[in-house]
Amino acid sequence: MNPETQPIVNVVAIGQACSQLNVEALEAIERIGELLDVPALATSDMSLRIPTTLRDAAALAVRELGAAPSAIALSSTALRTTLEGLVMQAFLDDHYERYPDSRPDLGDLAIAAAEIDGHLLAGEPDRLRRAAEEIVSKRPDASPEDVLLWAEARAYAA
Amino acid sequence: MGRSKGLRGVSHLVILDKQAVQALGDPGHTKHRRVVSHVQIAASRKRRAEVVQVVVPTTVRVEAGWDRQSAAWAFASRLRIADVPLDQTHSNAAAAIRSETEVGAAEAHLGAVVHSTSAMHVTVVTGDPGSMRLVAADRQITIVVM
Repeated sequence: MNPETQPIVNVVAIGQACSQLNVEALEAIERIGELLDVPALATSDMSLRIPTTLRDAAALAVRELGAAPSAIALSSTALRTTLEGLVMQAFLDDHYERYPDSRPDLGDLAIAAAEIDGHLLAGEPDRLRRAAEEIVSKRPDASPEDVLLWAEARAYAA
Repeated sequence: MGRSKGLRGVSHLVILDKQAVQALGDPGHTKHRRVVSHVQIAASRKRRAEVVQVVVPTTVRVEAGWDRQSAAWAFASRLRIADVPLDQTHSNAAAAIRSETEVGAAEAHLGAVVHSTSAMHVTVVTGDPGSMRLVAADRQITIVVM
């Protein structure tokens, strides 16, 4: 693999692993969670290969936009956030296996996404559920945000 | 996950109240799937590196009976929901809110969290929207009623 394009962490691979949890994977997820909880006092001198263009973009974002105190802080926050999301998803998936009724459907998630953001359609759960049913027939992998867009477009058209 | 490492840099803060916590912790609760839906949205966004944080004020956690060392609460305890402790700053703010509004200590603590965060967007998942409006006062928040 070209070092210029080598990712810091193969997030896609971790995500795929999380969808097929076994005991080893669960232990790894637990350990990732423990590591994330340790106060970040120590730093590593290990240099991570990241794409040069990504590094330059991060430096620009820090210098010109004040996106973070430093490029390191910017990348650490993004990495921590993504890892936390993976840990959460692993335990949610495990919970859905144990309690299938607790798994939200696309309509539930669209409503939650609307509510959490204070979206203009947050108070119209029936409309969002209809939109979810419509969109999932054409796009089985649709996201809650796709449903919101579709419902919004339908609302404007009507 | 235990104590919050500080909420600076968080762009979206999602706060759970007592009823939301109780529903999350009990798979048999009628609102369990509804609260799980909101946690699922937070998890999905984090996986896209959106800086969203789900938190619980520790006073709320006490009232809800959430013991992080209890196996009965293992699911909620593993979801990276951070504690916001009732430290000196939050205690002072909560005391002022309680004096002004006569809400309970947990609601006042939650109000102190609302007012102290620098998050651009604050969402409260609650079974008691009236109290949340009271404690938020002029702070713009999104209230999700369970």
